[in-house]
Amino acid sequence: MENNIELQNVSKKYKDFELKNISFNVPQGCIVGLIGENGAGKTTTIKSILNITKSEGTVKIFGKDSKNNEKEIKEETGVVLDDSFLSEYLTAKQVNSIMKDFYKTWNENKYINLLKQFNLPTDKLIKDFSSGMRMKLKIATAISHDPKLLILDEPTSGLDPIVRNEILDIFRKYIEEDETRSILLSTHITTDLEHISDYIVFIEKGKIIFDLPTDELLENYGIIKCSREDFIRLDEKDYIAYKKGKYQYEVLTNDKSAIRSKYNISTIDKPSIEDIMLFYIKGEK
Amino acid sequence: MIKGLLKKDLYNLATYKTSLIIIILFCGIAIIGTDAVTIAPTVICAIVGMISLSTFSYDEMSKSNRYILTLPTNRKELVREKYILAIGATILGGILGMVLTIIVVNIMNYLRPENIINLDYQSLIIATMGGIFAISFIQSVQIPSMYKWGAEKGRIQMFILVLIIVAIIGGIYFLINKANINIDMEMLNNFITRFGLIILIVSTIIMYSISYKIAYKIYKNKEE
Repeated sequence: MENNIELQNVSKKYKDFELKNISFNVPQGCIVGLIGENGAGKTTTIKSILNITKSEGTVKIFGKDSKNNEKEIKEETGVVLDDSFLSEYLTAKQVNSIMKDFYKTWNENKYINLLKQFNLPTDKLIKDFSSGMRMKLKIATAISHDPKLLILDEPTSGLDPIVRNEILDIFRKYIEEDETRSILLSTHITTDLEHISDYIVFIEKGKIIFDLPTDELLENYGIIKCSREDFIRLDEKDYIAYKKGKYQYEVLTNDKSAIRSKYNISTIDKPSIEDIMLFYIKGEK
Repeated sequence: MIKGLLKKDLYNLATYKTSLIIIILFCGIAIIGTDAVTIAPTVICAIVGMISLSTFSYDEMSKSNRYILTLPTNRKELVREKYILAIGATILGGILGMVLTIIVVNIMNYLRPENIINLDYQSLIIATMGGIFAISFIQSVQIPSMYKWGAEKGRIQMFILVLIIVAIIGGIYFLINKANINIDMEMLNNFITRFGLIILIVSTIIMYSISYKIAYKIYKNKEE
């Protein structure tokens, strides 16, 4: 499988934060979720991929070096940033007129149809849009030049569940239309990813904790709920982290079938991605 | 790509169109009231030139540069577009002022044949060019300042820088007077009449070129 994004040892140092040797791939036809708490390094990783910030390491997009082929790569990439867009004092119609001059492949009809589909007014200033409307406009703008790659930074944050679902549907459709396309999506709302992502990359304090297929993550990881006596029996190598409750221990493992056969434990819960993330961040070892 | 950037800024600046009409009307009335033919080119050129820089505030409000850098463009084009806009607005302001002056003076001369205003086109052009030079000086300091310190802080730093530059020029003038160096004013006047316009044009080009290089150097290393 070919990769649309390849990151190798991407590092970036700030005064109070460091992104350390980030390496992962975004294969064609896949949605990759970049998760982590606020300030973990998701946005810095995305900024490094997009060459907005200077960082060390190698970033290849469509097999080309991102620094030397910047314009060419950006022609085929659509980007949605949570907190940034052209201007709040523009209308959707003016956005169309501006974007025509940026992208050679800008598809005006597609953009107008998407505005209609999303019920977005063409002559209203963006500053008067709701947050859901703004996000839909950003997405319509990002996909109207038929990019091969979509990079989305927190596209669902601050949105109600209905709008979030609509947006996730758009991503599903986008990826289904062409198998060479891919999406890199950063979010801290991990429930969204359980339904649409193929891979999950978890970043914590500037480092990658894991990079796994979503199915594997949800199938192999498990939460054991046990007494103190049972917990003591567990070998440290067999679990990732634990949480000590008032009456019981909760233990996260990344190989629940091994645990089952080794310790004869039958009750192992299926964790959500959020549970896994919380164990890594808050759990003890 | 620069065309797209220019469009974005011009759409943002469209909010100023009413203010601009009021300024033009004000200048027209000022010419009628004072018979001063140099007022419109300088005032309009100054205001339009400075309005063009308010796009930095719009960019800052929407954090638009971060987004724009994800589009098929680069930092060089971003900086270049700001200079094209600033220079274009200043020249347009100057031309608008000149045209307004010519129209108003001709209407006045037609309506008041007993009180003809003699329109000296050379003086009008030199006054316009003087206005353009003054605004280009402020813009040349302000654009790199805004890239360095942001739209709001950049304005304050710009005033400090302009004050320092004015103080240096004033200091030199003071020292020349103090040292009793005799300047032949007639010769100086002749020199200004003959070469003033060329000097203003060349100085304006040099100022913008230096300013552009500094602004790009600052922005090239700036985090968005």
